[in-house]
Amino acid sequence: MMNLAAYLFISLVLFLCGIIVIIARKNIVAILIGMELILNAAALNFVAYSRYVTHHIDGHIFPLFIIVVAAAEAVVGLAIVIRFFQIKETIHIDDATQLQS
Amino acid sequence: MFLQVVFILSALLTVVSAVMVVFTRHIMYAAVYLLGSLIGVAGLYLTLGADTLAATQLLVYVGGILIIMIFAIMLTGGQDFMKNSRKSFLQVPFMGNVKTYVFGGLAALVMGSIGTKLIMNVADRFSEHSEMLSYQSTIEVIGEALVTDHVLVFEISSVLLLGALIGAATIARPIKKQ
Amino acid sequence: MEHTIVGYFLQFEIMKNLVEMASSTLGFNASSIIAFIIFLTASLILLLIAATIGGLGTFAERKISADMQMRPGPNRVGPYGIVQMVADFIKLFLKEDIVPVNADRFLFYIAPILAIVGVLGTFAVLPISSGLIISDLNVALFYAVGISSLVGLGIFLGGYASNSKWSMLGGMRGAAQIVSYEIPVILSMFTVILFAGGLSFGAILENQSGGPIGWYLFHNPFTFIAFFVYFIGILAETNRAPFDLPESESELVSGYNTEFTGMRYAFFALAEYMEVFVVAAFASALFLGGYKIPFNIGGDSLIGQVLQAGMFFTKVALIYYVVIWIRWTLPRMRVDNLMTLCWKYLTPIAFFNLIGSAVWIYYFGNKSMWNLIFS
Repeated sequence: MMNLAAYLFISLVLFLCGIIVIIARKNIVAILIGMELILNAAALNFVAYSRYVTHHIDGHIFPLFIIVVAAAEAVVGLAIVIRFFQIKETIHIDDATQLQS
Repeated sequence: MFLQVVFILSALLTVVSAVMVVFTRHIMYAAVYLLGSLIGVAGLYLTLGADTLAATQLLVYVGGILIIMIFAIMLTGGQDFMKNSRKSFLQVPFMGNVKTYVFGGLAALVMGSIGTKLIMNVADRFSEHSEMLSYQSTIEVIGEALVTDHVLVFEISSVLLLGALIGAATIARPIKKQ
Repeated sequence: MEHTIVGYFLQFEIMKNLVEMASSTLGFNASSIIAFIIFLTASLILLLIAATIGGLGTFAERKISADMQMRPGPNRVGPYGIVQMVADFIKLFLKEDIVPVNADRFLFYIAPILAIVGVLGTFAVLPISSGLIISDLNVALFYAVGISSLVGLGIFLGGYASNSKWSMLGGMRGAAQIVSYEIPVILSMFTVILFAGGLSFGAILENQSGGPIGWYLFHNPFTFIAFFVYFIGILAETNRAPFDLPESESELVSGYNTEFTGMRYAFFALAEYMEVFVVAAFASALFLGGYKIPFNIGGDSLIGQVLQAGMFFTKVALIYYVVIWIRWTLPRMRVDNLMTLCWKYLTPIAFFNLIGSAVWIYYFGNKSMWNLIFS
């Protein structure tokens, strides 16, 4: 039961959920939540392959950097969201049509 | 035996929470379900023998990213956002009728089975190498690899984090009243 | 497996016999089942200990504060009022469970559970004695800091779900405070980890000895500063005065737990008192030698274990007393002062400590101050 396919399947489900959230939601924070799911799916794939295929520690290093990048992305993204809300008083993605306020 | 129980629980938590993130109507609930999904992924890391990654996942995601996300949700409208927004998720029109859904569902089934078949092939090909490594702590190995083989990425990520810190502080600064 | 409580018990002959007996009775290798039973029993015992510690914490708080204000304090139930905590518990247990009408029910139910799970999770790596540690994880400190951040999330969601202005303000203050103060706390931990060379409590306690000279507190000037940074940080992280802004009674009625009654309130209160215990235990293990006793009296036998546990609880009780003492002595800070203290003073000091420790290791290796002076 615990084999590569199971992990890949879980990763696939996470990825699909993330994609659906990104497509269906119009709230910018919800879109960021979907992106976290996708990043997690990728990281899980790395670790699963490192355990079952390559047997090398590099597969554990890459998720660390994925987590770092996810943290940076979340912080900057949410800062932009808050700034956007101050200007437009909405966080609907369709209202974000201008590069300059 | 233990590992399999942990695996089943973590996998269920991850998948169910991820699906609930999609189907919940409340943005705050989505964040809480995301918490469940992240903890589930941490459990999956444990079953893969990546204890350092599991701890990092808990530390960074639960302690940092999720709290910041909930902060952002509250600062941008809080709980009434979904209800009162003029274009909320509830008012998104259905993208099709019964025919398109039947067609789409069948197509998704076929594509899914093809995908599963492909994944199974991959798994079969590597099945002869798939005997378990003995579980041992990875933290020393990761620590050494970070400052020898991957030292450039390590430094670059520190610069990235510094940039993110300054950038976020600059962007989210309150607007000055003229 | 050998770094857990199971490993400690399997040293003894009687346990091996038990495993063999169970294996021959059941017809298959029963070692995993025995391990599971040992883990379960140890966890249950630790859960009971944790609940008692939380109750004793509330009792100590009331008694010590009464002592400082020259009142008798609770003295009716039992000798010196020590059964007061049981009475409190029964009162809270029998109270009506009120959920505000406009509250967010799902989040309202889940918030106290998150808070208490976050604290109880850290008990798994608590080094009470060299045998009584449920699991000496290799990433113990990392794990503990990560899982205890669930408390902040619980406080935040509790404040949000109550649908009350006071709770909301308290919850937001709590979350901001906890996230900010995690940085100096973790950096001060790293100062010790640099010298210990490992994240597990086994590695941290290995290089310390029973006497004060062998503690990391007096190892070098940087760890000495780091202890105080850590101490201020944990005061803020557990929402104790002078940093108890999330539940400041004078401005926000009771902060994030205004709307909680009965067992839900009890969960929040227990979580707070147990978290003070846990962070005090980490302080004692990181800086004050933990369970180590001078001259290793008793060794690894049962007597030694009891002595070690006594040493541990004594140190933790001392730190606990200081925490309560500070609470009833100092006035509360303002929110902007709080953030200024964290980001402009404690974080730079913690970074300075970290760099200083690295320089110390570069020049002197793992030698302590006393080694350099006396040789």
